[in-house]
This record gives sequence, structure tokens and C-alpha cells, in this order.
Amino acid sequence: MMSELLVPFTYDYMLKAMWVSALVGATCAFLSAFLMLRGWSLMGDALAHAIVPGVAGAYLLKLPYATGAFFAGLLAALGMAFVRSRTKLREDAVIGLVFTAFFATGLLMASINPTSVNIQTIVLGNILGISDEDAMQVVIISAVTLAVLILKWKDLMVVFFDEAHARSIGLSPFWLKVMFFTLLAAAVVAALQTVGACLVIAMVVTPGATAYLLTDRFDRLIILAVAIGTLTSFFGAYISYFLDGATGGVIVTLQTLIFLAAFYLAPKHGVLAARRRRNGALLPETGDADEVLK
Amino acid sequence: MMVLYEFFAEPLSYAFMQRALLAAVLVGAACAVLSCYLILKGWSLMGDAVSHAVLPGIVIAYVIGLPLAIGAFLAGLGCALATGYLEENSRVKEDTVMGIVFSGMFGFGLVLFAKVDTDQHLNHILFGNLLGVTPRDLTEIAIVAGVALLAVLALRRDLLLYCFDPQHARAIGLPVRALHYGLLIVLSLTIVAAIKAVGIILVVAMLIAPGAIAYLLTDRFDRMLAIAVGAAVGSSVVGTIVSFHIDGATGPCIVLVQMAVFLAAFLFGRRGGLLRRTRTDRSGSTA
Repeated sequence: MMSELLVPFTYDYMLKAMWVSALVGATCAFLSAFLMLRGWSLMGDALAHAIVPGVAGAYLLKLPYATGAFFAGLLAALGMAFVRSRTKLREDAVIGLVFTAFFATGLLMASINPTSVNIQTIVLGNILGISDEDAMQVVIISAVTLAVLILKWKDLMVVFFDEAHARSIGLSPFWLKVMFFTLLAAAVVAALQTVGACLVIAMVVTPGATAYLLTDRFDRLIILAVAIGTLTSFFGAYISYFLDGATGGVIVTLQTLIFLAAFYLAPKHGVLAARRRRNGALLPETGDADEVLK
Repeated sequence: MMVLYEFFAEPLSYAFMQRALLAAVLVGAACAVLSCYLILKGWSLMGDAVSHAVLPGIVIAYVIGLPLAIGAFLAGLGCALATGYLEENSRVKEDTVMGIVFSGMFGFGLVLFAKVDTDQHLNHILFGNLLGVTPRDLTEIAIVAGVALLAVLALRRDLLLYCFDPQHARAIGLPVRALHYGLLIVLSLTIVAAIKAVGIILVVAMLIAPGAIAYLLTDRFDRMLAIAVGAAVGSSVVGTIVSFHIDGATGPCIVLVQMAVFLAAFLFGRRGGLLRRTRTDRSGSTA
């Protein structure tokens, strides 16, 4: 029994999948701590879909996939900004329009050249079968992103919480935001290989939101989020060995389960804690009043 | 002229193309009507969330032997309800909650799919399989899309007021909660119908683009509905035919034709905005 559980560790491809996933999970989780503060969560999703034609094009032209992804991501971001500045359409509609247009382009390219572009790999990820070349790109991107974040997280925190204060102490909110979105794009490009375009959003949202329910201090929030992201990604890859695939699905399912656990059980912000507080603080008759007020 | 005729006539000599075209038009029209309301309500990305979330419903329905459409519908609705519940009971923002719920459900659906042996192709669920629509599928699409369409058209005044100004709708005594859930139900229904045609991932495009196109071209809601449906139906026809000729996937072709129409409206619409200011001059020169 025990030896069966250790089998994944005896394969090189599994070891590679597990630690590459863990690294990507850590990077995305770090960013998620910031992303969910600002209501930008769906930008992560849009970016992940928008880079698909870039990735497909890069595979067609035999370029490193990351270059194509960055190029497409940049075009999409510019396209959103342009349409938004020239119409009265709401932001969510503009985001939706642009990313689906890019995504459809990617799908069309793949459907015309099915041999050189495997669309399922792009959309659902395939970390168990990742080539060494792609793994190298993922590792470099994640490592650089993580390094920049570790150096700059305090500046970013100030900008995200209080832009006026940030400006007064000599930081530039505009450039820090540009940097943040560049890092986000980089993390999304890396995560594409692990969980695929459709599930990237979970990697850049769920760990941060979970940690947000567990603590009120931002430094602890980051540490918790990174721990959750790293562990779920590592064990997600591990468990997917026994399922013969669906690595992205397993990772995201684990992350969602942990979020739900925190949602109910978190010591201060959980549903059960709130219920306990309500029952403890109010007498039964005022409890009724509480119900009425709702 | 002959070339143009051939362009449309050749694909239509195949029965599967006729079915595909009919399905695309039905789905396009239903999505277009709904998209006008979603644009006004700011729910464009709700369509994205609900469409991803139907995946586990499809797999589970397959396992327990229910019609797949029912499983998909329940899962989609469940996603919308769960988002509302989690948002009301935690301090996490709505867009974040939505992302967590739909990605969680989609991920879980993928895990289930890996463990269950089905005769369903994952690619067909994800990207649609318009060219493989059977007569039975077509009937199913027609019923589901028809119900959704009729429901929206029957309630169109109330829904419009609710989307445009919920406070006012409440003040004049409309059942706001019922309209809210009604719109979610119709949204889930439409998505279930659309999955066969364009797949989980591109449904959201059909639920945004027609409304956005119409929004750029007119200020009146009646006209907006008509333009959206016209644009969607036209795009569905042209997209399906083009996909036949270039041998590419149908769903993406339809979506890209819609985007081309949007771009045209985007460029023309700004001039249209200028023209609208001098409404009297315009009467003779709308072309």
C-alpha cells in the first residue's frame, strides 16, 4: 500500500510535473493575494483565454510558446483599452468581447492545423506530458516573477490599498500597476502549461480569496496564499498520476475544497463563526429581530 | 453573382449542413435576445461562469442516466445560486467568488470526466459539434431555445425595467426577485441549447457580441433587439458557410464573423452617433 503511494516519485516525468506545478502554484498564489483585492479577478481569466492564439501561432512557427503568448496578451490588453475608451459599453462586456474574439481565433487556427497545434493541451494543460523546452520556459518565467514579487510586494501593497498615500511617499501607482499586470501576464503564461487556459483563473484567484478569509494581516495573507497554492498544485499533480490525467482539474478541485472549508470554518470570517457570534451575542428574542432585519 | 450563389448553395446540398445552419440560427437568435439584457444588466461574464459550470452536470447526468440537458441546466443554475450565496455570506468580492465557483465546478467536471467512461467527446462539449447535429439534437435545441426565447419575449418589458433600474422596478411593485431568478433560469436554458452548437467555451461570445453590436448602433431597446437578432442570425449563417469552405471549426467561425460585425459597428457606430444628433437630416440618408 505504502509503496503504491510512492510510485509517482519514482518517475522522472512525475517529479518534474510536481515541482513545476508547485512553482507555478506559488507564483500565481502570490499574485492572487493582490488580484482579488481590486475586483480584477476576471482579468486573469480574460488574459488566459486571450493568449491562446499566440500560443497556437508560436507552435505553428516553432517559436518559444511564451513569446507568442506575450504578444497576444499585449494585443488583447491594448484592444480592450481601445474599445473601452471609444464606446459606452460596460467594462465586463468589453473584456468578454475581446477575449472571446482572441480565443475563437486560436481555436480556428488549431482546427485548420490540427497536427501542429494540440488545442486540448492549450485549453486543459498537460503538465504530465510537458516537453523539457516548455518546462524550462515555465520555470524561468515563474522564478523571475516570484523574484520581482518578493522584492516589490510592499510597494504593490501600498498602491493597492491607498494610491494617494503611495503617491505621497514617492511611488508611481501607474508604473507599479503596469508592472503588476506584466507579472500577471507572465504567471498566466506559465500556468497555461499546468492547468490550461480555462482553469488559470482559479490559480490566480482562489488561494488569495481563501487566505483572505483566514487572516486580516496582509503579510500573513500572502504567506498563507502561497502555501495553499504550492501544496494544492504539488499534490494535485501527485494525485493526477492515479487518475491518468486531468491534472488541472485536480489542482483546482483541491483549491476549491480548501476555499469552501475556509468559508465555513474560518475562525473569524467563516459562516459558522458568524453564526456562533450571532447566537452568543444576542438573546433569543432579539435573535428574531435579527432575522426580521435581514 | 453565380459565384456567390454557389458559395451558399453548395454547402446547403448536404443534409448535415442544413441541420447545422438551422441549429446555428436558432441558437444565435436566442443568445442575441438574451445578450441585450445581459449588456444592460452588466452580467456579460455571468454567461461565461454559467457555461463553464455545466460540465460536471453533463458528466453526472450521463452517469445516472438523465438527459444531459437537464444535468447541464441544473449545474449552470447551481453555479449562479452558489455565487450569490457565497458572496452574501463572506467578505470576498462578487467577481472573485464567481471565478472561484465556476473554475471549481469546471475543474471538478474535468476530474469526473477523466474517471468516467462516456461515449461523449470532451472536445465536442468544449468546442461544440455543429456539423454533427442529429435531427434529435435539432429538436432538442429548438425546444430549449424556443422556451427561452418565448419566456424573454413575454416578460420583455418587466425584464428591461429590472435590468435597467432595479430600484425603480421594485418601487412600482414588480417581483424583482422572481425576475432575477427568471433571468438566471433563461440564461442557463439558452446556454444548454447553445452548447451543442458552439461549445462551452464560446457560448459567452454569442451572449455578448450581438447585444454589444446593437448597443453601438441604436438607443432604442426595440431596435436593439431587432439589430442584435439580425446580426446574430446573419453571422451564424455566414460563419457556418465559411467554416465549410475553409474546413475550419464552425463555432469559432461564427464568433469571428460576429466580431467582424462588431468591428464594423464600432467604426461605423461612432459616425452613427454623430448622425443621431441631427436626427432630422438623417431620415433620407440612412444607407
